[in-house]
Amino acid sequence: MSPATASPATAYRRTRRRWGAPALFLLPAALLFVAFLAIPICYALYLSFRGMRVSGGGPFGVREETWVGLDNYVTAFTDPEFLAGFGRLAIYGIIAVPVTLGLALTFALLLDLPRVRGARFSRTAIFVPYAVPGVVATLLWGFLYLPSTSPGTWILERLGLGGLDVLHDGMLYPSVANIAIWSGVGFNMIILYTSLRGIPGDVYEAARLDGASEWDIAWRVKVPLVGPALVLTGLFALIGTLQVYGEPTTLRPMTSAISQTWVPLMTIYRDAFTRDDLSLAAASSVALALGTLVVSVVLLRVTQKRSFGESS
Amino acid sequence: MRKPVQVAATASALALVLAACSGGDGQDEDAGAADGPVTLDYWAWGTAQKPMVDAWNATHPDIQVKHTDAGGGTDSSAKLVTATRAENAPDVAIVEYNTLPAMIVAGVAADISEHADGLESEFAPGVWNQVTFDGATYGVPQDAGPQALTYNKARFDELGIDVPTTWDDFAAAAEKVHEADPDAYLTTYAPAEFGGFAGYAQQAGAEWWTVDGDAWTVDFDDDASVAVADYWQDLVDRDLVLAEPMLTPEWNAKVNKGEVLSWPAGLWAAGVLYGVAEESAGDWAMAPLPQWTEGEDAVGFQGGSAVVVTSSAEHPEAAAEFARWMSTSDEAAAAQIEQGQYPASLAGQELTLESDPPLLMPKQEDYWEIAAEITKNTIPEISWGPNVNVASSAFQDAMSKAVTDGTPLRDALTATEDVVVADMEKTGFEVTQK
Repeated sequence: MSPATASPATAYRRTRRRWGAPALFLLPAALLFVAFLAIPICYALYLSFRGMRVSGGGPFGVREETWVGLDNYVTAFTDPEFLAGFGRLAIYGIIAVPVTLGLALTFALLLDLPRVRGARFSRTAIFVPYAVPGVVATLLWGFLYLPSTSPGTWILERLGLGGLDVLHDGMLYPSVANIAIWSGVGFNMIILYTSLRGIPGDVYEAARLDGASEWDIAWRVKVPLVGPALVLTGLFALIGTLQVYGEPTTLRPMTSAISQTWVPLMTIYRDAFTRDDLSLAAASSVALALGTLVVSVVLLRVTQKRSFGESS
Repeated sequence: MRKPVQVAATASALALVLAACSGGDGQDEDAGAADGPVTLDYWAWGTAQKPMVDAWNATHPDIQVKHTDAGGGTDSSAKLVTATRAENAPDVAIVEYNTLPAMIVAGVAADISEHADGLESEFAPGVWNQVTFDGATYGVPQDAGPQALTYNKARFDELGIDVPTTWDDFAAAAEKVHEADPDAYLTTYAPAEFGGFAGYAQQAGAEWWTVDGDAWTVDFDDDASVAVADYWQDLVDRDLVLAEPMLTPEWNAKVNKGEVLSWPAGLWAAGVLYGVAEESAGDWAMAPLPQWTEGEDAVGFQGGSAVVVTSSAEHPEAAAEFARWMSTSDEAAAAQIEQGQYPASLAGQELTLESDPPLLMPKQEDYWEIAAEITKNTIPEISWGPNVNVASSAFQDAMSKAVTDGTPLRDALTATEDVVVADMEKTGFEVTQK
């Protein structure tokens, strides 16, 4: 590596001085990124073009992995159940996302009021459900939903109103979304609340001098100023919606109304582990990941100008 | 400043990917060094396995077995397939009868015909048929799950219900139960119970998969299966059976309250019910499954499993010897019976006759006699296809949808058949849809 002339050597040394430290600091993250993200993604892409096919023939021929081209993608995009899963996801998202964000914003604004009492306790109480693991939360709600174990049904029956089956028909989506809302409000509330605390006090002072009520301050000052945080939580909620899996999967054994293909991730799980079709699952996963990326980018583009201004 | 750093990171990431991809897998195991005692890895679930393995290890110093519980039937099978592809599967494993064909085509179960001398005579033909395919033997049957009717005798007596011997009687009894106690149901029609429905249909004469030469024939909506679907349809429509999933907190509560009076299922149902309704033990009893035609006595299987030697086994002969012992020795059978498993071998079944009845029905003295009688009458020709996993999941969704939406149950059979055939065609099997 000995340089032949002086000028490339200086350039080399300068480059090394410029790159040495950043590269060193990047290394751990890069290694983790490669080991746990880049390689699995490459492998999933590779798998999505493969498939298990019988070799040798006969009724008990052994299946072997071969190249199948775009077969898996064609199967995924022509499977009406996989596509219907996105439709169900949309209904779920239309309920879950606005309610979660709306409640989170309301709680954050209430906690941010001057002279509010019991703020610390309320904040913890609203945040605690987020600390409950998803499966535990779902089982917990499952017991509350099932008529024989639900105190709600017990009370309704004592009032002579009869039971309520919340795991069927029109009630199913709100019931599933409710679990995510219960778990998610606290987390989003903390992000919005932190963002609210970051607003300098003189802004409020100016508003009050101008005669603004608390309601005006909340609506005209606070909400616009936490815009970026709202976009962020909105993005998280959207991605969270596309990745819904735990709640419906845990509820599935309790009701016939949730199929194994209820949402796209459930279909992917079924293909990979119940049907032993890893390749199809890989193709569907790639499609879902690309879809998520596109939706996120579009959402950011649309909201970026309004919320972040030109600062970025 | 920002862009170049990103580029550098991407470049080094790529370099690492390439390095990782080109690395050799360095697999050179010392295959020849097997002078000392042989060690076998064994995957099996259920409480009976550990005492059985301990008994083997105590008497076989040259072949030591390491037992791992890799999860129940479905989980364990899924892991076996993955482990086989990664070339680190155990030497011996338990596989349920209905997933055995899938394990064969996935290359998990090895052909052990050459180690199976004299094994056939240890089993009833119906049981032995579960592990032989195309003339080759792929496992040794360990436990059997012929279908029977497990019922709450105390509630039957209270409501004046006779134990039904035909399915017509069963329907009449369902009506009577619901009339006598509007909260109570004779039984459950759980739409996701693939194995249960398969058993009722087999009893009626259904053959979902058949092999002829190299070709498969798939027929889920044959006359027998459709008749079974229509039978349950009628009971569901008239609200005479509980059409909801079973073994949920909801269902368990109803069983404990005495609102679900019976469960036509494999003999192992007694153990499961004891698990969810221990307090009602002593109220229950077991009787032969009702028949579609008066006077007949055939029943299908629901569950039961075999010990298979895997294609990854380094010492197939030792593995086969262990598999044989686990399924046919008296010590192994005694451990099974103690834990409530019904042995598959004739000798093991003989041994049950001297045992106490299961914990759910301590008062039923003739339990094991009835069990032996039922097992003698299992249908000898039941063949499962190479994609029972696909069929089972398709059936569960189609049946659940039919029950939820109120569409005909028989259509769910056709829907299942379509999925099964499409999957087999895609995989490359020669298949005819009937």
